[in-house]
Amino acid sequence: MSWIVQECSSREAIMARLPQLGEPFLAMFESLWEQPHVPGPVLELCRLRMAQLHRSEGDQAQAVVPVDAVRRAALRDWHRSPLFTEAERACLEFTEIYAMDALAITDAQAEAVKTHYGDVGLVALVQSLGVFDGLQRLGLIWRTSKQEA
Amino acid sequence: MSSVARVQVPEGQGGSGNVIRDSALGMVPEVVESLIALNGAVWDAGELSPAEVELARLQNAQFTGCVMCRAVRYDVAVADGFSEEKVAVIQEGADEAVLSERERLIVAFTRQFHLDPAGIPASLQADLKATFTEAELLHLSMAVAYFCGSSRCAVALGGMPESMPRTEIAITR
Repeated sequence: MSWIVQECSSREAIMARLPQLGEPFLAMFESLWEQPHVPGPVLELCRLRMAQLHRSEGDQAQAVVPVDAVRRAALRDWHRSPLFTEAERACLEFTEIYAMDALAITDAQAEAVKTHYGDVGLVALVQSLGVFDGLQRLGLIWRTSKQEA
Repeated sequence: MSSVARVQVPEGQGGSGNVIRDSALGMVPEVVESLIALNGAVWDAGELSPAEVELARLQNAQFTGCVMCRAVRYDVAVADGFSEEKVAVIQEGADEAVLSERERLIVAFTRQFHLDPAGIPASLQADLKATFTEAELLHLSMAVAYFCGSSRCAVALGGMPESMPRTEIAITR
């Protein structure tokens, strides 16, 4: 149970307690998976990698888009794994720097994403990372998602 | 930090009069309308006053390093009594004595959200619950989560000036 709403144990249930804000927030999350510029499976890898960096157990357990179990297991070590495409690697590298310090993102890292998905793909990725980051932090601060030891 | 914009807004996009839709964010029409709706809800549909939301937004901007976010003041917050002496607490480390207990807790929550969300101490949880209603706490939480993403988004897309004067703007709806 969460300290903020004791009878709720999920982030989504808590957000539903203030629907005038929770509903548009979740609607934005849903819209990310409807845009065609960055494929859903690539976004899912980025969402999962961000959850690993936040050590958010709940968000790592979630599956918005199916990801092959072998690739999912290799995600933590994607730098050395041959299982990820160049496009996925560009997005994962961007995700990692974004999660740590968006100011530290280099032009080369942004260009690498654009090489595969264009300017519009970079915008879609950045919008997605903002929502993933915000929601994952909400889960942690509300204590609806445990943090890995 | 890149001072050069990393994406080019296509010619022909713009002119809607909505600064979010006319910006690079409008390049993803499947997402931008939900973003505009969420932005409006953060300011219009919550329980906190505009001045309290502005305090959280500016504290958030300290962590993301968004020059524009730090320079902007929303007109609704200024009209609600938001003052620069409160900005000085956030941006210059001035004495927190100018903050009310509610404002001090808004700043503390926002800092915790950025620095160590999972580590929120029981004492801060208790103080927040004793001071704010459930709806106010949910508003604060989701507003900070939104600002966290939107501010980092601005930084990640580049084109950030080195500095910018204080600029009062209206809410984009």
